[in-house]
Amino acid sequence: MLDGLISQLYANALDQLASAETLDQVEAVRVEALGRKGKLAEISKEFGKLAPEERARIGKLLNTVKAELESKIETRKASLEAAALDARLDAEWVDLTTPAPGPRPGSLHPVTQVQQEVEDLFVSMGFTVLDGPEVETEYYNFDALNIPADHPARDMQDTFWLEDRRLLRTHTSPVQVRGLEKLGPPLKMIAPGRVFRNEEVDPSHEHTFYQLEGMMVDHDVSVAHMIYFMKTLLSAIFHREVTVRLRPGFFPFVEPGFELDIRCLICNGEGCPVCKQSGWVELMPCGLVHPAVLRYCGADPEVWNGFAFGLGLTRLAMMRYGIDDIRLFSSGDLRFLTQF
Amino acid sequence: MKFSYNWLRELVDGLETPPKDLARLITIKTAECEGVERVGAALESASEARIVSVEALGSGHNRKTVVETAKYGTRTVVCGAPNCRPGVRSIYLPVGRKTIEGIESDGMLASAAELGISRDHTGIVELDEPFALAPDHIIEVDNKSLTHRPDLWGHYGMAREVAAILGKTLRDPVKARALGGAPPLRVTIEDYALCPRYSALLFENVTIRPSPLWLQYRLEAIGLNPISNIVDVTNYVMAEITQPMHAFDADKLRGGEIIVRLAREGEQLNALNGERYNLDPSNLVIADPVGAVALAGVIGGAESAISDTTTRIVLESANFNASSIRKTSSRMRLRTDASMRFEKAQDPVNTVRGLERALELLEEVSPGIRLVGGLADAFRPPPAPAPIELPLDWLDRKLGRAVPAADVRRILESLQFRVEATAPRIFSVSVPSWRATKDISIKDDLLEEVGRMVGYDSITPVAPLAPAKVPPGNPERAFHHHVREMAAAQGFTEVYNYSFVSEEMAAAFELDPAMHIRVANPIARDQGLLRASLLPGIWKNVGDNARHLDSFRLFEIGREIHKDGEAPHFAAAIYAKDNGVPGLLELKRLAECLLPGVTVRPAQAQGYEHPQRAADVHHGGTRIGRLFEFHPRMVEAGRAAVLDLDLILVEKLQRGTVRYQPVRRFPTSAFDLSIVAPKRALIGEVHAAFPRPPELLSIEFLREFTFSDRRRSLSYRITLGASDHTLSSDEVAAIRMAIIDAMRSAGYELKL
Repeated sequence: MLDGLISQLYANALDQLASAETLDQVEAVRVEALGRKGKLAEISKEFGKLAPEERARIGKLLNTVKAELESKIETRKASLEAAALDARLDAEWVDLTTPAPGPRPGSLHPVTQVQQEVEDLFVSMGFTVLDGPEVETEYYNFDALNIPADHPARDMQDTFWLEDRRLLRTHTSPVQVRGLEKLGPPLKMIAPGRVFRNEEVDPSHEHTFYQLEGMMVDHDVSVAHMIYFMKTLLSAIFHREVTVRLRPGFFPFVEPGFELDIRCLICNGEGCPVCKQSGWVELMPCGLVHPAVLRYCGADPEVWNGFAFGLGLTRLAMMRYGIDDIRLFSSGDLRFLTQF
Repeated sequence: MKFSYNWLRELVDGLETPPKDLARLITIKTAECEGVERVGAALESASEARIVSVEALGSGHNRKTVVETAKYGTRTVVCGAPNCRPGVRSIYLPVGRKTIEGIESDGMLASAAELGISRDHTGIVELDEPFALAPDHIIEVDNKSLTHRPDLWGHYGMAREVAAILGKTLRDPVKARALGGAPPLRVTIEDYALCPRYSALLFENVTIRPSPLWLQYRLEAIGLNPISNIVDVTNYVMAEITQPMHAFDADKLRGGEIIVRLAREGEQLNALNGERYNLDPSNLVIADPVGAVALAGVIGGAESAISDTTTRIVLESANFNASSIRKTSSRMRLRTDASMRFEKAQDPVNTVRGLERALELLEEVSPGIRLVGGLADAFRPPPAPAPIELPLDWLDRKLGRAVPAADVRRILESLQFRVEATAPRIFSVSVPSWRATKDISIKDDLLEEVGRMVGYDSITPVAPLAPAKVPPGNPERAFHHHVREMAAAQGFTEVYNYSFVSEEMAAAFELDPAMHIRVANPIARDQGLLRASLLPGIWKNVGDNARHLDSFRLFEIGREIHKDGEAPHFAAAIYAKDNGVPGLLELKRLAECLLPGVTVRPAQAQGYEHPQRAADVHHGGTRIGRLFEFHPRMVEAGRAAVLDLDLILVEKLQRGTVRYQPVRRFPTSAFDLSIVAPKRALIGEVHAAFPRPPELLSIEFLREFTFSDRRRSLSYRITLGASDHTLSSDEVAAIRMAIIDAMRSAGYELKL
C-alpha cells in the first residue's frame, strides 16, 4: 500500500515540478513533497507500523525517491534561475553608441602643437629650452646682435617701439644673447616664442607670429655641423628625408649668413605654385654666430664659435596643415581652432 | 633692385648663360633673385620704318599712312598719332590686319610706351638714331639681401659677381679722363666724417632734351622714369656703377662755392618732389653761400634744379656718411634711390669714376656740351683698412671641408681682393675699396666669400662631437604644457590673442590706461596699449564665438605685460546660451585639477563681473586668481564664466615634495550631519567651522536643501578613524557629540 502512495507522491511531485514557472512554485512543490510536514514525512509516520523486512525495503525506496526529487527540484531551480538571470541581463541592454556625457575634448592651438613637437625634438638632441621677454630692450633686440642704430638692417624688421624706449621683440634672437650670458658656453639652446613686426595684416602677413630660435656654441662648430643638425631636424619635422640647400643670406648676427631652403615637398622639386616654380621653399635663416655677438655675450670668439638659426613656427604650421590665411591663428575662431 | 640682363652682358665678356639660369646662380652664390621678367617683347618683331605718305581719312584724326619698313617692305597702316607725317622715321610693329574706317590697316606704328621703351604715348616714336633695341630680361633681386652690399646697387657690382661665378672677364665701363684743369668752383666740406668726399664738374653749352631711346629704354626697363638727357645720365651712372649724382643749374647757384654743412636751425628747403622740408642741425645739406640747395644724399632743391632753359650745369658726385643719410631719410620719411644707396655706405673712390662715366655719356646725349675747367674735388681719404689675415686651416675647420689654397686665391682674386701668402697656410687679404666701407672687415667675412663661391652644396653634413649631457630643464614651460593638456582634456580649446588692447577696452576692464605700456607707433589707434590682462581678449573671443555656437569652452596661456615685467596667465571661459551656474563650478574644478587645494572666496565684484558671482581663488594664504561670471550686460545672450590664474604662482605652489603616509590598517567609521545655516551662508565657511579632532579623517559635502525662507540645510559625511585601533561605538558617539556641540556654539542649528 505504501508503495502506491510513494509512487503517486513521486508522480504528483514530478507533474507539479514540470508545471512550476517560478522559484516560489518550485519551493511550494518542495515543501509539499519533502517539507517537514510534507507528504513524504506523512508517509514516514506509517513507517513504524511495518514489518522489519518491509521497513528496510520501504526505507530504501523512500530515500531513493527523496534523493531523486531533491535533485529534480535543484535542476529545475537552477534552470529557472538561469532563465531569470538571462531575462534580467537582457533587460539591461545599453546603447553603447550613445554619445558620452560631458564636454567634448578641446584642442591645442596648431602653433602650440608644432612648437611642442619641435621642442621635444631639440630636447631629445640635448638642447635646453629658454624663454625671453616679449618686451625687449634695444640692446638685446639689436645692438648685441650686431645691428647698431642707423644700420639699414633695422629696416628689415619693422619695429613696434614703446613709449619707454623699449620695443616689442622683432625676433626670438635676443634670447641667444640672454641665454649665452646666463648659461655661458658650451650651450645648445632653443627659444620659441611670440614676436612682433609693425606690418599691415593680410592673408600672408601678421604683426604677431611665432618663431623658434636655436643656437649651438662649442669649440670648432662648422657649417658642416650646422647642415647636419638642420637636415636631421627638418627630416624629423616633416617625417621624411628632406633635401636642403644653403645660399647666402644677410643677417647681421651671423657670418656667414644663410637662407636654408628645402626641396619643395609638394612637387619634389619639379616646380609648383607653392614653391613659385623654383622647386625650393625658403624655410629658415641660419648661419655661424658672428664674432661680435659672441663678444657681446662675453664669449671669446677665438675659443668658442657656433651656429644659430630661426624657424618660423607659424609658417611651419601653415605648411603642415595647408592653412592659407595667417590671420586665422590669432582669430580666436573656434570653428578654425577645433579642427586641430 | 632690378638688373637688366642686356646691361650685364655689356659688362661681362661672353656672358651666354640664359637669364633664368643666371638668376638661379646669383641666388645660390650672391643674393636672392625674386624673379625674371621679359621686357620689350614687342621689340622682337619691330622694324624701323620711314613714313612715305600720309592721307587724311574722313572726319577723325586717323590717317592712311604708307610706310617703308626695313624688315617687312611697304605696308599701309591707319595711324592716329599727331606726329604722323611724311619723312618721320618711326617703328613699325606687325600686329596683324584689321579694317579701320574702311581701310585695311596692316600692322601699326608704335609709341614708345607701346614698345616698353618709356611711358611716352603722346605720339609715335620719332627716330633720330639707328634703331637697335632688343627685348631684355629683368632679374629682380630682393633688396633685403643687398642690405650689406653697397656695391650691388648697380649693374657693375653685379657684373663683378657674375664674372666671378662664371669665370668670365669683367669689363669696366668707366674710361679714365683727363680732368686736370683748374677747378671752376670752390668746394668746402665742414665735416669730413659726414662727407668724406665731394667731387664736381661744371659744364656749359648744355642742351636739355629727351634722351636717346636706348637710354630711356634702359632706365624704363629697370623701373627708373626717363626725364631728360641730363637727369637720365645721372640715373644711368647710378644704376651702372652705384654712384648717386645730382645736376644743379649752375646759373641758379649763387657765389661760386659749394659748402657741405649741417643745416641751420629753422632752415628750409623746397625739394624737387614739391615738398617743403624744415631742417635742423642733424641734417646734412649742400649749400651755396646764401643757403641750402639740396638735402645731401637724399634729394635736390627745386630752386637750383635744371629746367628746359638750363645751359650750364654743376654735376655733383659725392660720398656721404651712411648713418647720417639714413637718419635724415627716415626722419623725413623720404627714401630716394640716392639715399637707399648712401645708407649702405658707398665707396668714396667711386665719385670721380662717376664723373668720368657721366662725362662720356653727356657728350653723347647733349652734343656740343663743354667741360669748364677741371675737377673740383674735396677729399679726405679714410684710413686704408689693414689687410685681413686669413688662416687656411681655420677656414677649412669653420667650413667643415678643405678648400685648396689655389681655389681660395682664385675665388678672392676673381672678386678683386688682393691675396698674398705671408706664411705657410696663411693669406693676407686686402679688401677692395667698394667692399671695405661696411661689408668686409674680419676673416669671417672672407669665409663667406670663399664658402659661397665654392658652393655650400659641396659641404658634407657631419654630426658634431659633443659630450652627452642632460640639458637644464625648464619646469615653468613644462608646467604650461601640462596645463594646456589638462585644459584641452577637459574640453577647452586653446586660443591665441593679440598683445594689444585699446584704451576703451582697458577702461572697460577697470584697468588704468596709465598703468599700461603704450606703443609709440601702433598699427591702429585701437591697438595702442600692451595688454595688462588676458580678459579683454577672452571677452572678445566669447562674443565672437557666441555668434556661431550655443556653448563652448576656450582658454589662453599668454603674458600679461606690465611696466615692471611679464606675467604668464591662464584664462579660461565657459559659455552657454542658457542660464545657470555650472560653468563657474566646472571652472572651479579645473582650478582644483591644476592646483589641488585651491579655495574660492567670494569677493567684491568688478563692474564687468556679475555682482553675485565673483570670487578670488586662493591657495593657502596666496591669492592666485579670479573666478567670475561676466556681468550680463557684457554678454549679449547667455552666460560666460571665466577663470583667470597667475601661472607663476600656480607653478610655484604646485611644486613641493610628497611624503608617504602608511596605509590605514583599522577600519573607519562614518556618519552624516545636516547643518542648518542662515540664508546665503557659505558652504566654505561652514566647512571651515568644523572642529578638527585628531580622529577626523574627512568632511565631505553631500548635498544641500534650501528652505522656503532661504535657510540652507547642508549635509556632510564625517569620517573618523584612528591609526592604532578600531574606534569603538562609544568613542565615535563622543566625537560626534563634540562636533555637534562645537557647531552649535559656532551658531549653526543641527538637524538630528
